Amino acid sequence: MQESKKIVILGHFGVGKTSLIRRFVENSFSDKYKVTIGVHISKKVVTIKANQTISLILWDIEGTDDINAIREGYLLGTHGVFFVFDVSRPSTFQNIAEDLDLTSKKTNKTPTLIIGNKMDLANKKDVEQLLAENKIPYDFLMSAKTGDNVDEAFLKIAELVNTNA
Amino acid sequence: MEDINRIEAIKNILFDKDLEYIEDLAKRIHLLEEILNNDEALTKKIDPLVANQLLEFTEKIPTNLGPTITATLKEQIKNQKDDVVDAIFPILGKMIKKYVAQEIRLVTEKIDDQFNFVSRWKIKMKALFSSKKEKELLLQQLVSPTVEQVLLIEKDSGILKASYTKAKSIDEEMVSGMLTAIKSFVEDAFNKKGQSLELIEYELYQIVIQSFVTHYIAVVVSGPFGVNSKNKLQDLIFDFYNRFMAINVDLVIDLPTLANNTKKVTKATIEKELQNSFRDARI
Repeated sequence: MQESKKIVILGHFGVGKTSLIRRFVENSFSDKYKVTIGVHISKKVVTIKANQTISLILWDIEGTDDINAIREGYLLGTHGVFFVFDVSRPSTFQNIAEDLDLTSKKTNKTPTLIIGNKMDLANKKDVEQLLAENKIPYDFLMSAKTGDNVDEAFLKIAELVNTNA
Repeated sequence: MEDINRIEAIKNILFDKDLEYIEDLAKRIHLLEEILNNDEALTKKIDPLVANQLLEFTEKIPTNLGPTITATLKEQIKNQKDDVVDAIFPILGKMIKKYVAQEIRLVTEKIDDQFNFVSRWKIKMKALFSSKKEKELLLQQLVSPTVEQVLLIEKDSGILKASYTKAKSIDEEMVSGMLTAIKSFVEDAFNKKGQSLELIEYELYQIVIQSFVTHYIAVVVSGPFGVNSKNKLQDLIFDFYNRFMAINVDLVIDLPTLANNTKKVTKATIEKELQNSFRDARI
């Protein structure tokens, strides 16, 4: 039986949450920035291994600089979290420890992946050095524009939330 | 004679490389001439270039010509309203005619049905014991609300657990998520504890929402939906709930976590029951 899991995508304004989902679900990208209001829901079925699929219901939640401001209702029953920051804007990850702590409390410690997006705007070595110097944790560095690492990250979260493993 | 030979030898030494170059150029010119004079060879060379140009041109039409075409069309429509109406009218007319004919056929069938002896007497008796006239009851039955879709949704996550639908619409899992988000937004916005969103209306449809503790049921209804219909629908929902939700649906559906002594009910069984409960529902 195919399971369905709720994945919420969180992060500051303009870090590329919607673009990541668009790249993953529709394999498309647009440079035009449209603000997400409230929440937008998408779905994609991911194959974890032969004969085993999982349906990811992706909740693209409006960007906010204050995780506390996110409506509690949107986070209820979450199975997995994508916390996205913009590698070219330090303001989106300088308070990441605090943001992650709040997210963990609000989502009842559900599996979380930390994603650095917009790698197409930066040099990989510089980014890695900057993140290491500032002790910024991350699981994937990716680009919604080029599609680098996008599928890999979503596959990872699917594996993490899969209870049929 | 010897002098001439010497001059030739010197020429050969001096212009040997130039001669090779000239011969090579001559060969290339000859090849080009052959291609130019041979239609087939020329087509082979030029066709991919033309195709590429055409493709590029076609791709750029929406950006380059799109706004001009839209502006021209707008202007044309504005200036020649009558011509546009003339062109569209026959198509619209046919569609409306087809729709009206279909609806009349359905109403006629219902009227025929109601005029059979038993039904007629049922209505007469009902009119006798209620405040409504026989005519009103007849009309009410002609346009009765219909259950189009039923969704059983996990309250917190918005994950769809089971569904029944008359006709496949857009992805039900996404609808369930969106409904949950709307519900959560409205309930959050008004900040009234213990109160929940019960009805969403759009055009000819209503989405009736009945919340339970861990799940809620959303029923999409078409047609006139009044207090009586609401009561009947709620009875149907509660009946369904009593039969199937008495045991925790999380355990029921999440098979891998089932304890050995828990009754196993699959998603398919719940969907079958949803169908049995709502397929022929008269509300």
